[in-house]
Amino acid sequence: MADKNVLIIGGGVAGLSAAVELAVLGIHVELVEKSDFLGGHAIGYACKAIDNTCVKCGACMVEEKLQSAVSHPNIKVLRGCQIQDISKNHRFSASIRQEPLVIDRKKCTNCGLCLDRCPVDRAILQGFSKNNHPFYAVNKERCLYFKDHSCTICKDECPETAIDLDKSASEHTIEADAVLIATGFQPFNPKNKPYGYGRFKNVVTALELENMLKRSGGAKKPSDDKPPQKVAFIQCVGSRDAKLNHLWCSKVCCGSALRMARLVRERQPETEVTFFYIDVQTFGKDFEPFYREVREDIRMIRAIPADIYETEDQRLKVNFVNHPLHETREDIFDLAILSVGITPGEDIGTLSRIFEVDPDEFGFLKGEHKKMPVSRNGVFTAGTVQGPMSIPEAIATAGSAVWGIIQYLKR
Amino acid sequence: MNNTTLILGNGPCAGIVAENLLTAGAKIIIATRDDTCNFDGSADTGALQIMTQTRLISCKGSVGNFRIHGTQKNKPVTIDAGRVIISEEDQRMPNFSLYGLNGSSNVITLSQMKHLLKDSSSEKTILSEIKKVVFLSGLVKESTPIIAKDVMLFSLLLQKDSNIKTYILTKNLKVAGDGLESLYRDTKNAGTIYIKFTDVAPDIHQNDEDPVRIEFFDEITSKNFRLTPDMTVVDESIVPSEYASDLAKIFDIEIDLSGFVQADNVHRYPVLTNRKGIMVAGPSRSIRDVDDQRIDAENAALAVTGLSGEETKAQKAQVHDGQCIRCLTCYRLCPYHAITLNSRVVVMPDACERCGICATHCPRHAVRIADLEPEAMSALIGTGGGIDKQQTFVPFIVAFCCRRSAARARDLAVCMGYHLPQGLRIVEVPCSGALSYDHIFGALGNNADGVMVLTCHKGNCHSEQGNIYADQTVAQIREMFSRIGFEKERILIQTLASNMGAEFARIAGRFEETIKELGPSRLKKIGLSENSTPTKSKIGKRK
Repeated sequence: MADKNVLIIGGGVAGLSAAVELAVLGIHVELVEKSDFLGGHAIGYACKAIDNTCVKCGACMVEEKLQSAVSHPNIKVLRGCQIQDISKNHRFSASIRQEPLVIDRKKCTNCGLCLDRCPVDRAILQGFSKNNHPFYAVNKERCLYFKDHSCTICKDECPETAIDLDKSASEHTIEADAVLIATGFQPFNPKNKPYGYGRFKNVVTALELENMLKRSGGAKKPSDDKPPQKVAFIQCVGSRDAKLNHLWCSKVCCGSALRMARLVRERQPETEVTFFYIDVQTFGKDFEPFYREVREDIRMIRAIPADIYETEDQRLKVNFVNHPLHETREDIFDLAILSVGITPGEDIGTLSRIFEVDPDEFGFLKGEHKKMPVSRNGVFTAGTVQGPMSIPEAIATAGSAVWGIIQYLKR
Repeated sequence: MNNTTLILGNGPCAGIVAENLLTAGAKIIIATRDDTCNFDGSADTGALQIMTQTRLISCKGSVGNFRIHGTQKNKPVTIDAGRVIISEEDQRMPNFSLYGLNGSSNVITLSQMKHLLKDSSSEKTILSEIKKVVFLSGLVKESTPIIAKDVMLFSLLLQKDSNIKTYILTKNLKVAGDGLESLYRDTKNAGTIYIKFTDVAPDIHQNDEDPVRIEFFDEITSKNFRLTPDMTVVDESIVPSEYASDLAKIFDIEIDLSGFVQADNVHRYPVLTNRKGIMVAGPSRSIRDVDDQRIDAENAALAVTGLSGEETKAQKAQVHDGQCIRCLTCYRLCPYHAITLNSRVVVMPDACERCGICATHCPRHAVRIADLEPEAMSALIGTGGGIDKQQTFVPFIVAFCCRRSAARARDLAVCMGYHLPQGLRIVEVPCSGALSYDHIFGALGNNADGVMVLTCHKGNCHSEQGNIYADQTVAQIREMFSRIGFEKERILIQTLASNMGAEFARIAGRFEETIKELGPSRLKKIGLSENSTPTKSKIGKRK
């Protein structure tokens, strides 16, 4: 099968795992990733081990898959890419548009000077893994040069002359024998929920807390970078929501939030944690003992808050109904974490049009192989593009898709 | 190299594995304890062999060459296979006792309800006399989405098809499965009443054949209620079958907390075990629904394919016959079951993963992995630290780092721009379980002022126990140091994962502070080390 080529769309944990599995079998992989970094959302997740014991969140597996993928000679990675169109005449022929990669991979030494000198917040993005080289990227949506050409500080200061802001986009054509769609999910955007996300600095999403923990190892208030005294986790933001027609449980948020809650408690014992929920979902094989400890350590309130207001001193007033007493209560917190749900990726429409695959009723792409072992048309799916799932599950669906691809290639 | 795969099991998962492997052109044997095999593949191709009424007893050998003894129809039988896939079915245990109930005509299990719902005229009549059914689920022990799905599905059928009023009493409703939130809405629309409990559970009374009496305080309405259903349906716990547990012992496979045949270790996901060539799929490894089982089956098939061409050039453990006294320490400790006993103790190179645990623990130094020997690693340590331009003491710190975790965390820390101690020297090891006294003393003898052992978190060790052995070794050395009056603070063990760059920097930074406070180590070889001239004077001052 050494002459076969597989196109993988999406460089998250599912795409990376599939790429590695295919590559070790001698199959060539073209992995196209939309963003500047590989690893998807999950590469920004923190290790949540408590008491020196692994809690099986799977975040380290992403790092491992990424490392294997970038070092395998059979895997060719193209970043900043989006599929424009695909045609099939025995083989697939995909036309790809690649946005300019402003920082030259070969020249960059990851010194970080561009980030230090950049005058605009988040205009230089920092990666989460040393296996993402370069570790930095220019965020064209915030960079002044891409707005009005008014700033070239990063380019001027780069000691390696690795930054070329005038680089233009390019078009590629990739020939492939099979295609795997692993474009992942889109975290629910809670800006329209009455929690003040985007307005109050100390309301963040669970993904943002993951990133914070990974970068700095602790939970801090974005308003003043100090550790919070009281933290509220709010579950099911954008999941199990009939008003939004989001009639699904995102499956992973209870595990992620409670593991983070315990990590915060361990690292910052003076921080109190409250957990607002509907039903705590079972996660992990050691759920019973874990949940027992959670209930001793964390204040559990079975209610989803109605709204959040900011006080004058930038604290957060959370309103909720306390059921057994039937009263509306308010409580003050310093940091609110919204467990935003897993929703279909923003490119699902384009992808389903290009590949002529229908999304399910909620907009996820189950893909044909969910029903039959060998996809007839050579298009497969893996990971959260299929729907909510954990990191280990995403890896498992990738293996399953790879098995399907091999059978398809052998036919 | 034997290319046959032995599949153990007679359920849907074993069937999908078999089907996939046959399609891919592999040779398989299906062995089941049952009288008949549910897999209906044609045996005439020669690629498929079916063994019924077969129980296994023991397994020898390593990947590519397993020799398995057992009985078929009570007669001894030997099976040779290159790989084994365990996919025995799980079993469901009724939770009667959790609710203080006994099974009776009106107190039944979820599985019994499933039978009642199957079309059959006699059983229909039972349901036709019933008006009210209560489901008890996850009230004492946390449930799972698979059970919740059955509860909701059966409740929906009763409401819709038989016009029976249903109540579901539960704590946390487990909807973390495909389509379960929709199903939950459907049951509510069909009229099912949910009563959710948070801290308290309902009082359940059973008196012979009388209807069960359930009394509770409802958290939503703040009122007391009593239910006397015509039928009470009790949920079930999904547990591994006894035979699956036997297989874990026969193959020496690590199990999880509930006894499923796979350690709860992310490195084994999805279908690997601690023994190369032995995979576990579906309900033998965890609680898995139908889709999960198909995914597992395909992963197992893939794992079989992937194993065929694998080769590694790295040095494996070797037993030096002259020194071996057959104490069997290595045999007991090897997490991969890579050591076999014939007339001699032999390492099976295909199964050895170079963790070094055997070499470290062999009391006779008879088992060795050349490049992990203390002398070989001492050579890697070199020298470091000393006195910087400001004439302050820069400690030489040796950090033994697990290749998969701490060594990668260090790379990330560097990339993230964290400051690391100037005199820090990283020595990568395949597993911290390979570290012995000799390695650590070797580092101190090499002029280290402090030694860190940075290993994987518990439950995340690729060699299962390697990090625990390292922990014991370090604890013993620290104990010994405090007895002889040497600063035990110079030795530190910490756990890290590959993605913990920030934490690596913090641990290394704190350790450097500790060592700076302690000053240079008294074990430094004065005058021997080429770099230690300035340090020597400092040591002199201390004395």
